[in-house]
Amino acid sequence: MSFDECFDVIVIGAGHAGCEAASAAARLGAQTALITLNLDLIGQMSCNPAIGGIAKGHVVREIDALGGIMGRVIDRTGIQFRLLNRSRGPAVQAPRAQADRTLYRLEMRRVLEATPNLHLRQGLVVDFIIGGGEICGVELQDTRRLRAKAVVLATGTFLNGLIHTGRRTFAAGRAGEPASLEISESLKRAGFSLGRLKTGTPPRLDRRTINWDLFEPQPPDENPVPFSFSTERLDQPQITCYIGYTNEKIHQLIRDNLHESPLYSGKIKGIGPRYCPSIEDKVVKFPEKTRHQLFLEPEGHETNEVYLNGFSTSLPAELQQELVRMIPGLEEARILRPGYAIEYDFVDPRSLTPCLETIKVKNLFFAGQINGTTGYEEAACQGLIAGINAALRAQNRGSFRLNREESYIGVLVSDLITYGVDEPYRLFTSRSEHRLELRHDTADARLSPYGRELGLVDDHQWLRFNRRRDSITRLRLALEQTRFKRSESTYRLAVQQLGCDLGDSFSLAQLAQRPNVDASFVYNLLPVSLRSNHSFSDFQTALADIFYAGYINSNRFTQQRLHQFDHLPIASDFNYRSVSGFSREMVERFERVRPQTFGQARRIPGLTPAAVSLLLVQLKAHRPAV
Amino acid sequence: MVVHTDTIVALATPPGRSGIGVIRISGPRALALARILVRDQDFDPQPHRAILRSIHDVTSGEILDQALVTYFKAPHSYTGEDVVELSCHGSPVLLSHILDSLLALDARTAGPGEFTLRALSNGRLNLSQAEAVRDLINAQTGAALRQAARQVKGELSARLRPIKDGVLEVIVQLESRLEFVEDDLPGVALAQLHETLLQLSRQLDQMAATFRSGRLLKDGLKVTLAGRPNVGKSSIFNALLLRERAIVTEIPGTTRDTLSELLNLDGIPVLITDTAGLRASDDKVEHLGIERTKQAIADADLVVVVIDGSQPLNDEDREVLSLVADSLNVIAVNKSDLPRHDHTATLGDRQERIVPVSAKTGEGLSDLRQAMLEPFLLREIHDGHFLVTNARHFDLLSRANLALLGAGELLKQKVSEELILVELYNALHYLGEITGETTPDDVLSQIFSTFCIGK
Repeated sequence: MSFDECFDVIVIGAGHAGCEAASAAARLGAQTALITLNLDLIGQMSCNPAIGGIAKGHVVREIDALGGIMGRVIDRTGIQFRLLNRSRGPAVQAPRAQADRTLYRLEMRRVLEATPNLHLRQGLVVDFIIGGGEICGVELQDTRRLRAKAVVLATGTFLNGLIHTGRRTFAAGRAGEPASLEISESLKRAGFSLGRLKTGTPPRLDRRTINWDLFEPQPPDENPVPFSFSTERLDQPQITCYIGYTNEKIHQLIRDNLHESPLYSGKIKGIGPRYCPSIEDKVVKFPEKTRHQLFLEPEGHETNEVYLNGFSTSLPAELQQELVRMIPGLEEARILRPGYAIEYDFVDPRSLTPCLETIKVKNLFFAGQINGTTGYEEAACQGLIAGINAALRAQNRGSFRLNREESYIGVLVSDLITYGVDEPYRLFTSRSEHRLELRHDTADARLSPYGRELGLVDDHQWLRFNRRRDSITRLRLALEQTRFKRSESTYRLAVQQLGCDLGDSFSLAQLAQRPNVDASFVYNLLPVSLRSNHSFSDFQTALADIFYAGYINSNRFTQQRLHQFDHLPIASDFNYRSVSGFSREMVERFERVRPQTFGQARRIPGLTPAAVSLLLVQLKAHRPAV
Repeated sequence: MVVHTDTIVALATPPGRSGIGVIRISGPRALALARILVRDQDFDPQPHRAILRSIHDVTSGEILDQALVTYFKAPHSYTGEDVVELSCHGSPVLLSHILDSLLALDARTAGPGEFTLRALSNGRLNLSQAEAVRDLINAQTGAALRQAARQVKGELSARLRPIKDGVLEVIVQLESRLEFVEDDLPGVALAQLHETLLQLSRQLDQMAATFRSGRLLKDGLKVTLAGRPNVGKSSIFNALLLRERAIVTEIPGTTRDTLSELLNLDGIPVLITDTAGLRASDDKVEHLGIERTKQAIADADLVVVVIDGSQPLNDEDREVLSLVADSLNVIAVNKSDLPRHDHTATLGDRQERIVPVSAKTGEGLSDLRQAMLEPFLLREIHDGHFLVTNARHFDLLSRANLALLGAGELLKQKVSEELILVELYNALHYLGEITGETTPDDVLSQIFSTFCIGK
């Protein structure tokens, strides 16, 4: 078989998953091709021009800590940074930033083009070349054949994409871009089971036709927190967004026209995300709500386009125009691009390993929306894991996986491959059992050592990592050692501030463990020399470490009780097949890992709770009597 | 549902000679095996109906027994699989012959509890129901049987569900504030959430409190009769049992060893233990008996101290009374048929119930029975209240309650939601160990159906 070009790794699709995958693979030394339908749309934000948020922001920091690129790109192109949940505990705070859509895309392309071993190619993949259960390459529509040792498929909403506005439907991958029909077919031929999901976007408005005075401003943070641990400062001028509301008249008009909505006329079969409902869904499902919140988000410094967040719709374009004009302040507004809904194919992610490799076809990896997820951040982190593993495979270097105890990325992967999806999957902090330990500001401590070991974290980043780690250690020590006695004036100050007695003396660490103690109050009690040598953000991390340590420790007993059987040994010749009650799939998962204790078995991704309890019953029943 | 591919068989009644012996066959081949035994390939019994059929030897074809054959069609059976039950005559030889035939036909002997395990894995029972099945089988009195039967029907899970839903509701309120900070959600009244938590905690507390009675029903009560020699412990023992179980003579020290019998007292299983009289003794055997008496006193839920009402208290009596000072006890003043010595001066200031009885005439025995049960809240048992009878359930309910109280305390201190949620999820896990887990997806679903989420 002849090939036009040969690579180690081919990444198909240059969205948020594909960009991370290609960048990681190339930086690990694999000759990597990134194939996209349009080289001008690399890193395109097809929906909301924003990155981060609760759990999603955590993931971007994890991507950055591992050596991924999303955090650095958004830090250079973000035009409104806000740290969400500032008033709550540090474990549930997370950065969110709105991007200049165009700048983000250009910066992403610049970063990729500056990456050695990375080769951009424009083209439409029409088929996979599979031999002996292994992927060997891909074929393009223009008949070029590209060879690869490993392939990452990151096709987003392009697989069999179908756009709906009103009663009109047409095949498309995104508005204005062609769908990919052939890949779906070749996946089916290879034996994958496909499902159908749906997502949608709101209309984009002309900035000049908006009466801004009628909206409530939402200013950016005064002290923005960047995503990347290597970002020293944010350069983009920061903008203000605006908040407005729908009203009952709008809701009524929507209700009167539900028959025009492909969602309610039965045309759309795919399942949409519940946390990102269309305005039609909001009106129908929550009839008692008299208004729904909307956000006006300028899409960039140099464009008049404004994203009407909260008004996702697939109603006919002319009706969208009419509805928009009923919003106070948008009476004169013009729509630049109408909103639409899009249906697309996804593959059941239970057919993947924890490295995101398909079980059916060796060396073929899936990342992003193809696995049933939604969101740029969810896509990017899968791209990173798939890209790393594709390169490792091409180089015969083993594999890399994250578990759910140490990262949200691990939570996402394990949820996907264990439970599959029945609606587009989005991360939430509540999906993790270890929320207190997976703080956004500990992503580096948790993951950078892995990134360094892999070769993704460069010398400069590693130096910064070590400096920050040492600084936090020193600050933690200082917090423990700085004590104030009753006789000191600082003692009286603290008592006055907290309104309660603090014993004969107290350390700053003890102070830090009390609920609702202001960080800057504690900071100002530190010796001046320390304050000048360490950043406030390092101090906040040290403080949060101490604050949560108490809760994590006191909860450990409970966790231990919940996991009290973890030490139960499993004989090396334990016969899973002989246990009636395990499905074949469960037996395969056990046999692949061959756990030595119940604790290891319990953590095998993909096990159902029933299988875990059945195993426990077996182990307890066969334990020699004491 | 998990599909088991093999068919299991076992004797469902206790081994040994009996009127009827039941062989249970469960699995996909249950009916096929029955057809072979009844020698009728078209045998197609109506489910849940007992039919009289001849059971044949598989190889020789000779008739072994006339049996009632009952077919339970999947999933409407105990295990959730096809089940056939053969009610045969209870001869051990016959039953093992039929079992051997079935094993030769490629069935497998069921392991201990395997039928229940299959029911569990097929979702026919949840864990607390499966535990109740065990209790049902081991039930010693009618009242205990009723409680176990209620649990098999899933009553504990059913009663816990509203509490669990209440916890989930509080979680949804707090969680949605954390996760959907940018959404326009209605405010949460913290004081009201706090009140809800306290209410849920009280309900859990009430359920957990029934365990004291519930445990009695299941495990029964241990009562030890103690006293100096020759006060009539064995006579009272026999009188309570209504038969001459222990040897009674006028010779002090007749009872050398402890002797236990099960007694049904108003539906409560009571293990009553007669003991050797307590006195200083050089006799080696008697000395050993006295050691056992002391052990029986230590093990008892309640000690009945027997004294002789016709004589003043002596040092040995006082010794006994001080020995039981730490345990719950009732004083039975025996021999009320004889002229009575006034003990009010010596016993008057004691806290225990004092019951005059006569083992000889039976006088006062019903008062004594009453007095033995009284310290254990028994109203609930007879009023038909639902009782927690399983120690594991009691433990989980208590832990869940503690977690709720912890969450309430944190809520009051106005700490950030993620910390309150740790306690609430713990509570949910503990309850989940009884009723089945609540997954993060369940929580999210609840959030999405409660609030309009999403920009």
